[in-house]
Amino acid sequence: MKMAALCSEFGDLAQIKKQLISVISLCKERGVLHSAKWASELAFALDPLPKDDLPPEPAFTEEDAQDLDAFTLAKSYFDLKEYDRAAYFLKGCCSQKAYFLYMYSRYLSGEKKKDDETVDSLGPLEKGQVRNEALRELRVELSKKHTARELDGFTLYLYGVVLRKLDLLKEAVEVFVEAIQALPLHWGAWLELSNLITNIEMLKSLSLPDCWIKDFFMAHMYTELQMIKEALQKYQNLIEAGFSKSTYIISQIAVAYHNIRDIDQALALFNELRERDPYRIDNMDTFSNLLYVKSMKPELSYLAHNLVEIDKYRVETCCVIGNYYSLRSQHEKAALYFQRALKLNPRCLGAWTLMGHEYMEMKNTSAAIQAYRHAIEVNKRDYRAWYGLGQTYEILKMPFYCLYYYRKAHQLRPNDSRMLVALGESYEKLSQQVEAKKCYWRAYSVGDVEKMALLKLAKLHEQLNESDDAAQCYMLYIQDIFSCGEQLEHAEVSTALRYLGQYYFKSKLYDEASICAQRCCDYNDAREEGKALLRQISQVRDQVETPSADLFTPLSNINTPVRRVSPLNLISFTP
Amino acid sequence: MMTNGVVHANVFGIKDWVSPYKISVLALLYEMTSSKITLPERRRLNKLILPLQQGPDLTLGQFLKTVEECCPKTAYAVKLRSMADGELKDMEYFFSTLPTPFTAFDSEAYKTSVVGLFMRHMLLAYNKLSFSQVYKLYKSLQHYYHSHYDTVGDRADKEELDTPLHESELRRGPLSQKQAEYFLSRQAYLLKNDENKALRPAALQEELNNMLKFNPDFAEAHYLNYLNSMRVQDIFLSAHSLLHYFDRLILSSNEGKSNGDEGYGRSLRYAALNLASLHCRFGHYQQADLALQEAIRIAQESNDHVCLQHCLSWLYTLEHMKGSESTVLTQDSVKMAAHFCLPYLGSLDIQSLVQQGAMQGKAAHKLMDALKDTEILHWKHSLSELIEISLAQTTSIWRMYGKSTMALQQAQLLLNMSSLEPVNFGVHQNNTEAFAVALCHLAELHAEQGLYSATAEIFQHLKEQFPPHTQHSKLWMLCNLKIQFERHMNNRKYHLAEPLVKAMSALNKTEGLYRKAQVLKALNRSTEAYSILQQLQVHCEKTKCTEIIIRVMLSTAELHWESSSFSTALPLLLQALALARQHHLQSLASEGVLHLAFTQLMLGIPGQALTVLHEAMEPILAHGAVIDKGRAMLLAARCHMAVAGFRLKEQALAVDGLNEAESYFSRLSCKERLRDVHYLQAQLHRSLGQTAQSNKSAMNFRLLDQELQSPAPPVFMQL
Repeated sequence: MKMAALCSEFGDLAQIKKQLISVISLCKERGVLHSAKWASELAFALDPLPKDDLPPEPAFTEEDAQDLDAFTLAKSYFDLKEYDRAAYFLKGCCSQKAYFLYMYSRYLSGEKKKDDETVDSLGPLEKGQVRNEALRELRVELSKKHTARELDGFTLYLYGVVLRKLDLLKEAVEVFVEAIQALPLHWGAWLELSNLITNIEMLKSLSLPDCWIKDFFMAHMYTELQMIKEALQKYQNLIEAGFSKSTYIISQIAVAYHNIRDIDQALALFNELRERDPYRIDNMDTFSNLLYVKSMKPELSYLAHNLVEIDKYRVETCCVIGNYYSLRSQHEKAALYFQRALKLNPRCLGAWTLMGHEYMEMKNTSAAIQAYRHAIEVNKRDYRAWYGLGQTYEILKMPFYCLYYYRKAHQLRPNDSRMLVALGESYEKLSQQVEAKKCYWRAYSVGDVEKMALLKLAKLHEQLNESDDAAQCYMLYIQDIFSCGEQLEHAEVSTALRYLGQYYFKSKLYDEASICAQRCCDYNDAREEGKALLRQISQVRDQVETPSADLFTPLSNINTPVRRVSPLNLISFTP
Repeated sequence: MMTNGVVHANVFGIKDWVSPYKISVLALLYEMTSSKITLPERRRLNKLILPLQQGPDLTLGQFLKTVEECCPKTAYAVKLRSMADGELKDMEYFFSTLPTPFTAFDSEAYKTSVVGLFMRHMLLAYNKLSFSQVYKLYKSLQHYYHSHYDTVGDRADKEELDTPLHESELRRGPLSQKQAEYFLSRQAYLLKNDENKALRPAALQEELNNMLKFNPDFAEAHYLNYLNSMRVQDIFLSAHSLLHYFDRLILSSNEGKSNGDEGYGRSLRYAALNLASLHCRFGHYQQADLALQEAIRIAQESNDHVCLQHCLSWLYTLEHMKGSESTVLTQDSVKMAAHFCLPYLGSLDIQSLVQQGAMQGKAAHKLMDALKDTEILHWKHSLSELIEISLAQTTSIWRMYGKSTMALQQAQLLLNMSSLEPVNFGVHQNNTEAFAVALCHLAELHAEQGLYSATAEIFQHLKEQFPPHTQHSKLWMLCNLKIQFERHMNNRKYHLAEPLVKAMSALNKTEGLYRKAQVLKALNRSTEAYSILQQLQVHCEKTKCTEIIIRVMLSTAELHWESSSFSTALPLLLQALALARQHHLQSLASEGVLHLAFTQLMLGIPGQALTVLHEAMEPILAHGAVIDKGRAMLLAARCHMAVAGFRLKEQALAVDGLNEAESYFSRLSCKERLRDVHYLQAQLHRSLGQTAQSNKSAMNFRLLDQELQSPAPPVFMQL
């Protein structure tokens, strides 16, 4: 397997741990908090080092000593979010560390002011125009230093961020790659880079350092690019390499399972995650989605209460509560909580989509359309919003109109059967049977989640009087339903059996027909017809002379048309 | 603010706000009300006010330049300077000194005037600002002022690296809602009426993107985006924008109407209808059909007869485009429109009906009567668009009947008519299909008379008015190709005509096929030509395209001539003649008569041929093309020659005929045919014993023969 080859460095976990510890202290000194958090989480998952093996303090240069007082002062201001003040005292410092903190506080100061100004801009239309005024100056200074090659890993990272904020994406990618090469252990740089990569070709074309952290990055990228199989393989390898205790990896795997709708696996992982890290809020919205899909009310309620206790003003918490209310069919309240989530973070994509779903439940189609449109504006690739729009128009009985939206959703998730079934249904309503058949068949081929495609295909064939095809589909449908084990609510096995019974009867395959008829009797709604069919069969058999022995061998090879369904022994599946 | 549960961007419902540019305009207005300006200057400034108020924000440099062009010395810039160089209180003072529109009764700034309204808006917006906003406004004013006056100074070293940033950032900022509305309505109007004056597609797209970036809720921008993408035939983007527009519209219309059901249900119906028209425009007839059915269903469910009527009109248009019979539908549509009192749709339907009737050979007077009745309706309701269509239609019908003079008159009438529509933004609407059709007819009529330079001028105009990417450009392209093709064929330059066929088939398949058959016939590849003609005839009989059927029959007859089987050509020609007469197609009928006469001449009954020919002579000389006149005269002369023997009177007639034919052909500089005429002249004169004239004609013949350098085909084998 091509993914199996992890970086050779994984043999030496102690070495990795040492690297992590040193990078944590580097990040902390510079106030790069998220990267420090990530590295710490990972370091925590590895065995502790003996005292002698702890990495030495980073080298303390002459310059550092010079700037020490100013740096300490500025760092304390920085920690208290007084960015301008920090920048003022760092001006003129010459060490790399101080320079980074200087630039970083200026950047953060600009960002903070931007956020504040969004609230009271001059006019509503100016909203989009508010921007971080510091960015331009920062870019000018950093690019001068960049050409002089005076930037270290952290400042390169900052430069990349500035470029990205200015929408200079191509340059930003280059700078991030440079930053990663200068300081591979800085996870923040990798994460920023991952946001800029749009496809697998682009990923392959980048020259990244062969460090163990690259494997984490690749796994993350595969998840982002919806290449779930590869991602899972990668994470599995990482676990085997010794990171089995990492909560980060567990959460990532759970999210990956969620993306391919392997609900049970994902749930198990999330439960494990909550056991290990009970106060975690990250990714809990995904967890609540899963609980919602499974209709696990008590668990969801417990999760919601728990999260409210931890921190009720987090986007994730609001989403979880929204899901909770939605499951209890209190859609107004659910919508309210999603709105709260959006107030906390207007770019929170999931909340827009979920709010759309709530409005759909409340039959407020126009508001639902608006919410979905907002979601699409935030991220054009949000297939759920496109799908939701399609559903809205379907409810408004505009099957042709919703085709466009379903097609969009299908484009984004080519292997998701739900969009294909929805497309098929719309085509069927438009009496485009050929297209509908193609959609249903494709939905079945990519792995039908709801097990509806085959049934619909069979019914379509039935309508078009293509009895052989219909029988084949019903047969596959029955196989499919029984092979998945669990009992589905909407399963229409009886319909399938009824049809198959009649079909075999018409094709004079009385043995198969009687088996089907007997099976029919197991279902309430088809019992009468089953019995009637059995009676008919016995009548016909009485008329025809006693069948000779060879009738029980497959007849189809001799006297039935080629396309006919070979009589399958239904005895093998037991309901 | 939440409406219907959705967060709105426009929090206070502010449509306008104070910007540094607006302050400059205010300063100018203040200056105008308070100080003495000479009358002509004031007049120029007054004309400037509205564009300045409504237009997008300009930089100070642009603003000063525009104002100074009108009025060289104004003092308002001083006021700006005092504000920008002073302190915050200077700006506050400025706003407090502005004349309040509520008290100044006798000044221009009274509350109901344009200026007063603007000032009120500005004062209101200014008073609403919070402290930090006022400070920010002042900062931006300073920046606005200094960025103009300090560009020369220290800019060079400061911003050297800033230049490669976004161009859009350096350009003007966001538009206020008022400005945006003005921009959109202006561009939409221009797109509809005179596309060339609107922004280029790419520039418009950029503007719209800019606008949407600052205000994604501005639904109309999406609609304009849709129109713009239609210009460049971008199906993907136009569908996307159209759907986006209606998604947005659903909320706003719901909000406006108190009865919510009517609100967005209505826009849903029209959304589906618009989608149908989009697909129709791109030639996706099946998709259009599905969308249309959806619109019809929703409209039926909600009893919206007006929408249903629109759908019906589209339905028959679609049926017609797909090439199937739609008369019944159209008739229904007329009745329904009359019932619901929709004059526009009603007479549009009648016009379609007339068009279909003309194709099916309905009696001419009935068609003209119907058109006349709709005319009355149009003038009563001032439906100028339909008046134009009606005139163009009359032109086409006259042309089809072969009455070139009448057609010419109608076309001129349309082109010289002044529109009833109010003229906005200095643009007169002249880019409708009606104009294109009339101009094409005009071009063809001129080409028929051999006035090729006039034709070229008309095409030059068409090319400017309807650039190749626009909707109606195909009309003139095909027309242009036809004219060129005819010209080459008449001059027997087949190698030049051949490449045109491909271009024609791209624009119109049937026409292309017919022309291909003609070229093949001319190149003596008769078998291929014959099979194509057969194929074409079957196709046209299915689609009821009478004109082409008759043409095909005539061409088939010509093919029969080539194998000298003149008698087999006769029934075909008679059939074609009958068909042409039945459909009142005079020019084609005359053409049929010419063919018939020629066949008879070849069969050795020139006397009979002459009597037949006399019948067609009059319409040809009155309405026909120059080449047809020449051909008719030549044929007549040949008949006379054949009849004459040694009778002088007949021979003299033949001489006159040949002379006339010569003049016609030389007008077209149709050298091949001239050569034939000279040959016949030489022969005739010699038989009359006029040696000098005979020699002259012979010399002419020889000169032309040398010039053409191709062996003369058997002269008498063709018409």
